[in-house]
Amino acid sequence: MKSLFQTNMKTPLLAVLLVFATAFVARAQGSRIQLSSLDHLAAKASQSVDVTIDERLMKVAAKAFSDKDADEREVKKLVAGIKGIYVKSFEFDAEGQYSAADVESIRTQLRAPGWSRLVNFTSKKEGSLEVYMLMEGDQIGGLAVLSVDEKEFTIVNIVGPVDLEKLARLEGQLGVPELGLEPTKPKTKNEKN
Amino acid sequence: MNEDYLWDKSGEPDPEIQRLEEILGPLRYQPKPFATPTNLATRRRRYFPLLAIAATVLLALLAAGIWFRVRVSHNSQPRQANVTPMPPPIEEKTPSREIIAEDSTPASPAIRNNKPRKRSTALKQRDREEALAAKEQLLFALRLASEKLNLAQRKTQGTPPANQIKNQHRVG
Repeated sequence: MKSLFQTNMKTPLLAVLLVFATAFVARAQGSRIQLSSLDHLAAKASQSVDVTIDERLMKVAAKAFSDKDADEREVKKLVAGIKGIYVKSFEFDAEGQYSAADVESIRTQLRAPGWSRLVNFTSKKEGSLEVYMLMEGDQIGGLAVLSVDEKEFTIVNIVGPVDLEKLARLEGQLGVPELGLEPTKPKTKNEKN
Repeated sequence: MNEDYLWDKSGEPDPEIQRLEEILGPLRYQPKPFATPTNLATRRRRYFPLLAIAATVLLALLAAGIWFRVRVSHNSQPRQANVTPMPPPIEEKTPSREIIAEDSTPASPAIRNNKPRKRSTALKQRDREEALAAKEQLLFALRLASEKLNLAQRKTQGTPPANQIKNQHRVG
């Protein structure tokens, strides 16, 4: 009887475990956006930034933060639950270096169930800025910021729970100067001369 | 008295000797096969588990001693490893204090030529560099995300209605 139970139940049990494991992995990777489709832009960009911090690197990086410094302690707390941060940013000398398909390859992923758009700012002069959030129950499961203008393409993807308020407060902290991302107004002909 | 009786029981026995024979007769030697006492055998067997336990305990103590010695020598490596001149810290503006503290411990010159420790120093150094590089990348990514979020907030709060944008024209 015991052997009959073992042989008959082993396969379904393994199948159930496999399903659960797959669901768990899918859930963990749910807020991860595939950014590899943008790799070809690096060749056209005058300046490109590619940050890939997976879970292992997150843990490694967390060790480098001091518990004695208040600012670093805050950052350590902020990144404690984050499973990964992925950034791709390209700056171009000329306009039209990226296609609508490049933007769409990201937006398509952000239309998946669970993702919701918090901010959608669009301007002909300043391009567009979109903020997406993935909710997992009551908790934020991921964040994506897509910033596109004529000469810039930036996507930031944070995987895992993140405190938006704390994240927004990071600007200008830890002695690191602000990146100055506020787009400068294009110079008029008179100013150029 | 015939003494032959005392030698080979021949001749006429002395009544006194006969009497003594009768008294001591039951105590004479009677040959029988040798048998090992059963209790002796069991008593010997009882020592084996005790010996096995003692040997196990001894081996465990020996293993624990070796492990402790190895661990102590391993723990002392980072302190000794810092003898080799460290390259200047990588371009990290705010390095972790714990990491810096590890470097400040002096080491004895007697252990400078210890190759395994040098190797562990290199590993430690690589780990530290990896941690600092990851931290730098992480800070950059967080800063970028933070800036973008604030920018989004500013734009959404400060943006005039859509109609106004459409109807605006640059003067000149």
